[in-house]
Amino acid sequence: MNERWKEPSLSRRDFLKLARTALLTASGLIGLAGLWRYFSFQTEPPSPTDFDLGPASAFIPGSRTVLTQVPAVLLRTEKGFTALSLICPHLGCTVESKSNGFACPCHGSRFDFEGRLLRGPAAKPLMVLRLDTSSDGHLHLFTD
Amino acid sequence: MPVIMRRLIVIASALLLVTLIAIALWINQRVKPVALTPSLTGQVEYCLTCHSDLAEISPSHPVKTYGCVICHGGERLALDANLAHSTMRGGKNPADFSVVQASCGGADCHSGSPGAYRDHIQCSTTSIQDTYAGAIALIRYTYGDQLDLTARLGTRAIDDAQSSTGITSLGLFDPSQEASPSVRLFGQNCLSCHLSAQPIEGIQYARFTGCSACHTPTQPAAINGAPVGDLAKIHKLTTAMPYTQCNTCHNRGNYDLRTMTFQPRQDNSADRLHHYYQPIAEFTKCEYTLECVDCHTRTEAMGDGSLYSSKFDIEYTQCKTCHGTLTELPKTRTLTDPNDLAFRMAAIYPVVDLRLGDTILVTEKGEPIWNSRVLSDGTYAMVGKVTGESFTFRPVKGTTCKQDPANQTASSCHECHSVQR
Repeated sequence: MNERWKEPSLSRRDFLKLARTALLTASGLIGLAGLWRYFSFQTEPPSPTDFDLGPASAFIPGSRTVLTQVPAVLLRTEKGFTALSLICPHLGCTVESKSNGFACPCHGSRFDFEGRLLRGPAAKPLMVLRLDTSSDGHLHLFTD
Repeated sequence: MPVIMRRLIVIASALLLVTLIAIALWINQRVKPVALTPSLTGQVEYCLTCHSDLAEISPSHPVKTYGCVICHGGERLALDANLAHSTMRGGKNPADFSVVQASCGGADCHSGSPGAYRDHIQCSTTSIQDTYAGAIALIRYTYGDQLDLTARLGTRAIDDAQSSTGITSLGLFDPSQEASPSVRLFGQNCLSCHLSAQPIEGIQYARFTGCSACHTPTQPAAINGAPVGDLAKIHKLTTAMPYTQCNTCHNRGNYDLRTMTFQPRQDNSADRLHHYYQPIAEFTKCEYTLECVDCHTRTEAMGDGSLYSSKFDIEYTQCKTCHGTLTELPKTRTLTDPNDLAFRMAAIYPVVDLRLGDTILVTEKGEPIWNSRVLSDGTYAMVGKVTGESFTFRPVKGTTCKQDPANQTASSCHECHSVQR
């Protein structure tokens, strides 16, 4: 028999079977990848409410430190530590540190360095935030 | 299994694979939302996914505090533009008076108490800049449709039981009900200036409506400034309005009272001296050197919450407001109350550093001209709200001014002090 008319090594039936298997396998893999992606989806973690400010000894008496982790200022006086939120109690803008206290850039409310209200339209002083010292001497600020 | 069935299974498998690949590609190409949780609302919104290139609208409304939705409305979680914009208030202008209460209102925002000077919406929606009640009364009186100059009709029907002027309501001005043909024409041709009206055609008249008519400048700040761009892309609120914004309504031309038609200015002004006022106007140096808002006050422009027949009854800034007369110095106030309105005004647009103990000029009704100050040598200083430029000036008292104390209108002062051009 002529070589040209030899039966192919892969029959049509086998080819169709192989193609079907390959296509379904690929589809299955894509489907599995989709499921993996769906079940491994991570929602954004809630905003932290506990901030480690480092060793308490790093803040010298009389210091006034505007914190970088959270809009707050840490005051260390002779009486100890106080943390004030820098969120204006009027509408929530972040107040700025000035030479004579804090000023809200949005509507002009003013507060002294202890957070007391000097001028509206805010009706309340700056909020005092909770502080604690951990066993390793680190200062922790809580915003909840 | 027949061959045809085997082929169909292969084709179906191929289609399934293609579909899954298409879905995977579509998911990967979807817009990744940019989330913002404004501190004022605490509710996540995705507007910045498309609008992160917008500049802050004003120092008083930072986006991380307010977000977008509290003012503009819209679907905060939608990523499709049409859906996201479908429920916006006032389209591109949430400060239009038809929606302003929902967009800008609130006791801590712009519909607070008069005592706290926060009744901006009540003031501006009853002001004659919106009701046009003064002009309507004047025209109806002139052409015999009413017997006095008391405002009775406005561009909207308004009930204002708290009005202190005796005018507690306005009916809707309906030109078709007027007897005089001139008043009817006035209604047709001359109501394009009030704050709820769409401006007439022309880039020099282009402005928004409502609060934004003044507080969202659409015009370059100077005659030779950059031309106005796409109004829809202007994202700004300010209390430092340049005179060019005022000129979208004022000094833009005249109304011919015979034909009741608007006659636009024909002069092509090349500099501010000529641009500020139309050619027929008389004015002094300070009137074209300063901006309109440097002297004319918030109450004068926005009203005080009551219904009036004339702007002059609300607040009337005159030459003597800053310069006094031959016999009296201008009215002043030494700031002793940290909650004085002057401090809030100065904080919103800080061109001056006002302090307790400073003495500033005030109007006849006691409204602070917060950008002024009485200097130790008895002269006065004023800082331009738009330019930041400082000007000093003297009182009339003690000078050789020939003014007649009985005539204190601008035209009297213009007899000697008008600028020649």
